[in-house]
Amino acid sequence: MSRRQVRTAPAGSAAAGWVLSLPALVAVAALLVVPIGQAVYYSMTDWNGITSTWVGPSAYTTLFSDPTFLRVLENNGLLLLAVPVVIGVPLGIAFLLHEQIWGWKFFRSAVFLPTAISWVVIGLIAVRFYALHGILNSLLAHVGLGFVKTNMLGSTHQALAAIGITLVWSQLGSNTIIFITGMAALDPALAEAARVDGAHGPRIYWSIIMPQMMRFIQFAFIITVLTAFTAIFSLIFVMTGGGPNFGSTTLDFCVYQQAFGQSAFGTGALLGVLLFVLVGAVSVIQVRLLRSKV
Amino acid sequence: MTTELGIAENDLVAASARAGGQPRPPARFRPARVIMFAIMVVVAVIMLYPFLFMLLTSFRTEAQYQLGSGFSLASWRELFASQPVLRELLNSLIVSAAAVTIIVVIATAAGFAFAKIRYRARGVVFVLVVACMFVPLPSIVIPEYINVSKFGILDSYWGAIVVYAALGIPFSIFLMTTYFRSVPDELIEAAAIDGVSNLSMWWRLGVPLARPAMFTIAVLQFIQIWNDLLVALLFLQNPSDQTVQVGMALLSSGRVASVPALMASSVLSVIPPIIVYVLFQKHLVRGITMGMGK
Amino acid sequence: MTLTFWENYGTQLSLLNAAKNLIAAYEKLHPNITINMVNKPANNYFSLLQASAVSHTGPDLAVMWTGLYLPPYADIMANLRPYIKQPTWASIEGLQWGAKDFSASGPILAMPVDAQFYMGFYNKKDFAKAGISAVPTDWSQMFADCAKLKKIGVTPLVYGNASGAYSGEFNPWYDFSYMMIGALPPSQWQDLYSGKIPWTSPVVASQVSEWHQLFVKGCVNSDALTDTNNIGQFVSGKAAMVTADGSWDVGQYTQQMGSNVGAFVPPWSAKPQHGVVYFPGDAISVLQESPYKAQAAAFLAFMDSPAGAVQIAKAGLILDIAHFMSTNPINQQMLDFVQKQHFTMYPMLDNVTQPDIVNVGYQVLPAALVGQTSVSSALGSLAAKHNELPAGQRSTYAAYFSTP
Repeated sequence: MSRRQVRTAPAGSAAAGWVLSLPALVAVAALLVVPIGQAVYYSMTDWNGITSTWVGPSAYTTLFSDPTFLRVLENNGLLLLAVPVVIGVPLGIAFLLHEQIWGWKFFRSAVFLPTAISWVVIGLIAVRFYALHGILNSLLAHVGLGFVKTNMLGSTHQALAAIGITLVWSQLGSNTIIFITGMAALDPALAEAARVDGAHGPRIYWSIIMPQMMRFIQFAFIITVLTAFTAIFSLIFVMTGGGPNFGSTTLDFCVYQQAFGQSAFGTGALLGVLLFVLVGAVSVIQVRLLRSKV
Repeated sequence: MTTELGIAENDLVAASARAGGQPRPPARFRPARVIMFAIMVVVAVIMLYPFLFMLLTSFRTEAQYQLGSGFSLASWRELFASQPVLRELLNSLIVSAAAVTIIVVIATAAGFAFAKIRYRARGVVFVLVVACMFVPLPSIVIPEYINVSKFGILDSYWGAIVVYAALGIPFSIFLMTTYFRSVPDELIEAAAIDGVSNLSMWWRLGVPLARPAMFTIAVLQFIQIWNDLLVALLFLQNPSDQTVQVGMALLSSGRVASVPALMASSVLSVIPPIIVYVLFQKHLVRGITMGMGK
Repeated sequence: MTLTFWENYGTQLSLLNAAKNLIAAYEKLHPNITINMVNKPANNYFSLLQASAVSHTGPDLAVMWTGLYLPPYADIMANLRPYIKQPTWASIEGLQWGAKDFSASGPILAMPVDAQFYMGFYNKKDFAKAGISAVPTDWSQMFADCAKLKKIGVTPLVYGNASGAYSGEFNPWYDFSYMMIGALPPSQWQDLYSGKIPWTSPVVASQVSEWHQLFVKGCVNSDALTDTNNIGQFVSGKAAMVTADGSWDVGQYTQQMGSNVGAFVPPWSAKPQHGVVYFPGDAISVLQESPYKAQAAAFLAFMDSPAGAVQIAKAGLILDIAHFMSTNPINQQMLDFVQKQHFTMYPMLDNVTQPDIVNVGYQVLPAALVGQTSVSSALGSLAAKHNELPAGQRSTYAAYFSTP
């Protein structure tokens, strides 16, 4: 038999395919696609959950002419700067763990366990870390940098950085796990061949191992952007409340604040739709960018 | 097992071992390894510090916490007096376990269909389902709430369970499909030649093979659902159904929040996810390995 | 029969205790009725309430705030007039702020629980040690006292974020209310609302600039936006004054500081201050779709009867009736401003300002205090938000009810 014939599906299989995938399709369509469609509709209305008054697409144009909104988008853009760090540091840690230094199994758990902590608790601890009389400043004092008194969460421009650093910390665990399992699945023959040819150390990592890790890096990138753009509103709420002066307000925080702080459901839907578009766009762009490197 | 299923699994395990799961040669005390060890110690301290903070703080009163020293059980007593903590833990457990079960079943079915069964529109359906990964929770939660409320399930666990399941399905299907794609087609084709139907193939071949991925999905989704606040706040309208996260939100939103009581609540809250991780961690690594393999 | 009562009191002990006292007393009088208090997180309370109305899973009774916090929820609240007799209304001060269209003769949608002050508090020992014999009553006295307190190593005025309900920075609307008291008489506050006096006008800007000067001259702690222990510092005497505060903290302060604490009106004016913020901000409503409206309203009637008043006062709250006398010395000191010194009563500024502007204020005003943004650009943000509002939300307070 030719391979092509073997690959043809046996009779009756299409039905099986539908049967197995139908629950997923129904669940997703009813509980994810329908609400986002409704959000698109309600984004153009004034809506309190019960009655809605049509406003029309002008809702979008009004929003884009609001300087605060542009500020918010800028913050989302700045947050993306944290993403290379959220990828790079776990890659480094994954390398260290891959080398199976003594106690690596313990270290692997130590790195992953913080994913069990919820954003609110991380935020509360972070507030005390960044406080004027907090842990960061006492650490700086210990290494002789006591004259540097940081108050990051009280500064419009540094608050977002503090949140970015906290984001890096919180994602270390899940991204490291992704990368060490990626390294474990590598083909050692390739690295061996390169060593035989005289390459060593960093060169092996850059030209041999990294390309094989691309799929994992891409995956981690998507997960990280998703988290940064849609999941940290509770963290921001606890750490800074979005301030000072909107310095740490991101789009998902805006959605949360409008829909959940002010019951402005229509505005929440409006911002929510834009958030969806933003997340989708960034993900598609990065998939293209990273794919070209492979 | 001596059936074809047993043989298949062993083949698979052997294949993955050859692919790079072999342990490296024993460590030697090279200076480089000592430095690497030191770095990992620092990393472990940074990652584990919040757990220490939570524990220490929970065993202090508010006054002792401000001072930075002391020991007291008062905050634990305060926690148990102000929140039905054990009931909340049970609620979190029920909701998380039920949602995870549904996610695993649906993802294992759909993942197999998308990877192994050829049927028309398979590609479109797959993309639709996985693209829903990018639908942000805050964007859809209000329309979702209004839809679900029409089914009258808000005063039971089912509203939250159904929403959590829908939110977790896209990512889980992505993982499961990639996992199944790495399972050699030959196994499926061999069974097809023997006249096994697709559905039967899924149940007797796919499901046992998928165990590592099922555990991976279970661990990751359990942690995510356990730590969620927004859905729990909205969809569990019956006060006796409220979860640990809702309890923590109540503790932290007064005018004067007692940080030690909140930390006590956090300590309790992280224990179940940690237990789940510890129990399933070896499956976690293996599952992601297989899932990202090709 | 069981009634459900949603509250967002969190750990605000005095309101919580007042509610518990009332419920206990009422249940004793009516053994066939049980009232279940359900606590909802203060940060999300109103959205959860709105959502519950949509899904018809709402409570019978719910906490509601008066003034401009009320209109968005006016449609889901029941008119209490048919259920509660006339005499009860006569004794309540500021009843119109809980009524539809803010008209005292119209439908009453929210029944005030107590009357609250925005107020500053000071540490008497610190003042004595610094040689300050009288509390400051205007900007120049404030700066002078500030210098004296700094000399003895005490932080003159402390701000922080130790109030969980408004996470992030402190709530600037307490101080902003007093800045506007120092600038304008009550009749002109409506001009701020309508825009006749824009937020960027000199009379507003000069006040906020003076406030910012407090920070510049070192009268305020440098981590005003992020201090997590500001209340502790005040109680222990490390800081001498707090002004972003009100009557809800009196219980805690008297318990922890005894006679060492005093109330003073934040002196945010060029000439001595004679106004106080005294307003029935916290109220309780009955939901329109409750099947037990009559019974729920009967509980609210009890709350405003003499028997109910005793329960509220027992919890240390100030009753929302004229000539109320309190047993708590600090409460009485605040009431004396009104009763004995005849200070002008003002509402809470955030209860009579459009909610969108209030939210912008949370972000920009604390930043203006510490110089993270200039006073003019902070006020410019408020004015910009004002210009974005539909016309109906910029005319009269009452008109706010009829615009979407």
